[in-house]
Amino acid sequence: MAPSLLAPQGHLSPAEALQLAQQAPEILRSNPKAISSSPLVSLFTASETAELWTIYNNLLIACLRTKNDQSAHECLDRLVLRFGEKNEQIMALQGLVKEAEAENRDQLQAVLGEYDSILKENSSNIPIAKRKVALLRSMGSIPEAITSLTALLDFNPTDAEGWAELSDLYLTQGLYSQAIFSLEEVLVLVPNAWNVHAKLGEILLMAANSETESSGKHLAEALKRFCRSIELCEGYLRGYYGLKKVTDQVLSQSGKSKKQDADEPKLPDQKQVEKLNQVATEKLGEIVRRYNAKEKLWQGYDADEIAAAKTLLEASAPQLVR
Amino acid sequence: MAQVPDQVLPSAGELPSKVNTTANYGPLNSYWILFPITIVMVLTGVLRHYASVMLAPAAKKIDAKTMREQRSLGLGVALRTNYHALTKKSFDARRETLIANYESGAYLKEPDRKGQPPANPLSDPSQMDGMMGMMKNNMAMIIPNTLIMSWINAFFSGYVIMKLPFPLTIKFKSMLQAGVQTKDMDPRWMSSISWYFLCIFGLQFVYVFLLGSDNAASQVAQQMQAQQMPNPMGGPGQDPDKQFKAEAENLAVVDHYSVLDDVTDRFLEGIKA
Repeated sequence: MAPSLLAPQGHLSPAEALQLAQQAPEILRSNPKAISSSPLVSLFTASETAELWTIYNNLLIACLRTKNDQSAHECLDRLVLRFGEKNEQIMALQGLVKEAEAENRDQLQAVLGEYDSILKENSSNIPIAKRKVALLRSMGSIPEAITSLTALLDFNPTDAEGWAELSDLYLTQGLYSQAIFSLEEVLVLVPNAWNVHAKLGEILLMAANSETESSGKHLAEALKRFCRSIELCEGYLRGYYGLKKVTDQVLSQSGKSKKQDADEPKLPDQKQVEKLNQVATEKLGEIVRRYNAKEKLWQGYDADEIAAAKTLLEASAPQLVR
Repeated sequence: MAQVPDQVLPSAGELPSKVNTTANYGPLNSYWILFPITIVMVLTGVLRHYASVMLAPAAKKIDAKTMREQRSLGLGVALRTNYHALTKKSFDARRETLIANYESGAYLKEPDRKGQPPANPLSDPSQMDGMMGMMKNNMAMIIPNTLIMSWINAFFSGYVIMKLPFPLTIKFKSMLQAGVQTKDMDPRWMSSISWYFLCIFGLQFVYVFLLGSDNAASQVAQQMQAQQMPNPMGGPGQDPDKQFKAEAENLAVVDHYSVLDDVTDRFLEGIKA
């Protein structure tokens, strides 16, 4: 899939980002510096579209990633010209450029100071608050990042992005139950996000492996989360991968009886788990096979994920065949 | 020598009949009345658009506490609608916390003022702004319309400005010949004031062409907008404490089920099918 400048940039590989950034001169040349709002001029020129500003925004990020500072500044200037210095998103982008150009920790610290002073003026400036969290995280002070993110989520609790980031931060600290809580909060806001269901399943699985006393209920919930994820998106590789992992583990641990609360998700019976395991194995095998056969409609998968699935299949293959 | 014969000029006796017909028409009328009215109408529309852009209040900054109040309520609504994504245990925990906080007023902007009647909207400066904005909008509509209408009435009342190139039935007389009281005139003739009304309703597309689709030039569109959302944000006038209490009640009566309950059965069945 060719990367698009209209789509969010988070998942792009460096090569794809470079490819986008190389379009910068062309895009900057073919679009006017500023778009006039005068009625007479607008009769003769193309009118502005919202896409153009999304493109500038994403181009700015791609250029910063690839150290194309000149084009990045050009994009930023145009955005500032259009939306003004006081726009909250523009302020965040300006901060982002400064962060990217900072060469040492002191300069980053200075940017952080700027964020703090902006937030002191207007505490509800969400883009800047998020930049602050991201900067703190990239500077390595994760506890502080968590503190400021929870402060942000206190007055803006319907922010799925924020909750997802908080979950990730907790996960880096090994605080599984907090990470699970935050991710559930994301699900309250976007109940049908299959990737979030699968991610929650992954965290539950990690939690089950790290703690002993509550591993049974975590395993059961993880299994169901993966099932739900696949139910929402047939062909979601991570869902099948997780389902296979979890059922493998359940099957290997079977025999140990665990008493369970009525409130908590129950593990399905042995037969069902075996069947689920089988389904997941088959589907993973199919995905890997078709991806490697270069079938046209099966190329949307991430190469690393396919490789991981392959390894998992190979590891469990002997006991399946014989 | 060069005496003009009396008969060529209209005689005094014949004049009254001409003057009394309230409809005046000459070939130049279309140039001196039709075009000025149209141009003035278009220009007022453009002017009104720019005036309303200029007068538009800057997007109101919401301070963190107000945002907290609104979005906490939103969180409750989200939990109430999407509870099925959670397991019973985590839903119950969330429900308890939210209900407790809603009822104690922990999310309120001003927890001390809980239970007091809402402030008089006239004394609250932030709500005053909204009213002023509405007033400004209304003014921007009323003043130009009054001016143009009286201008047309003063200068062009009773003028017939053009003849439509197609026949019309008698019913159109009231639409096309407002301000001209002649019974017998063919409905194809159009009076100046009728042209003004047609302009009010028909220039919208010209404005869209000139100013883009979200312009503020046409008062018809503006009035419709004003009717559609009488109270933006649903906020002023409603007591947030009462909203929280109502939401707490809504949450309390939710009968929980989870999509996870029998997802494995559904899943295996779906595979078979």
